[in-house]
Amino acid sequence: MHRDVRFLAGLALLALLCGCATTAVQPWERGRLARWDMRWDPDPLQSAMGNHTHFSKEGSSGEIGAAGGGCGCN
Amino acid sequence: MRKPWFQVVAFQLLLTASASAIGIDITGNPAPQFDLPVFGAEQRHIALTSLRGKVVMLDFWASWCGPCRQSFPLYEQLRSELPAQDFTLLAINLDEVSAGPAAFLEEHPVSYTSLADPEGDVAKAFGLIGMPSAFLIDRDGIVRKRHTGFKPADIESLRSEIRDLITEPHNAP
Repeated sequence: MHRDVRFLAGLALLALLCGCATTAVQPWERGRLARWDMRWDPDPLQSAMGNHTHFSKEGSSGEIGAAGGGCGCN
Repeated sequence: MRKPWFQVVAFQLLLTASASAIGIDITGNPAPQFDLPVFGAEQRHIALTSLRGKVVMLDFWASWCGPCRQSFPLYEQLRSELPAQDFTLLAINLDEVSAGPAAFLEEHPVSYTSLADPEGDVAKAFGLIGMPSAFLIDRDGIVRKRHTGFKPADIESLRSEIRDLITEPHNAP
């Protein structure tokens, strides 16, 4: 009984691993991933403006991509 | 003594290996055969066998692929430079929906034919590993070169490789 459970658990784990291998996105299937709204930062200008507003309101700087720890002193 | 877990592991590994087999380099082997509809005129089909005796360049592209925008005008120029009786350029579109490529072709008009392979079956048979991909097939139907990706400087090597294939002796069709 105990052995059967271990066997089934191992089988399920291997099936999961195999599932990872079979779901690879092929080069020709990247149409949706290539959409502009799928980018990490779809609109750099908009995000720069958002960051500027954020820094101003929070009295901090350097929160994203610059030196400084948010002390507001640089 | 036979161990069932060993058989299970072997089976899983086989499945994993078959999944990762996509992307095999088929250079040097006979080109996988296909018969695909012409994009925008689906009642017309073109089979690769009908082009035997000519050097064929297959260009796999998609409307969302950035380098394809650069490649189209340069491929068009390349096609116009080479004799039509010896060389055919065929594009194979891999978009899953047809709206994108229609707009792309309006923006980048070319005189060569695009075929439609929305399921990617032919792309899989050719073992694509990137977009765009170009394959050069000799007059005997053998895949001789594979180019993955595109930058404008690639056109020079493509031109010389195609010229070499055109002048190469071959078996009569």
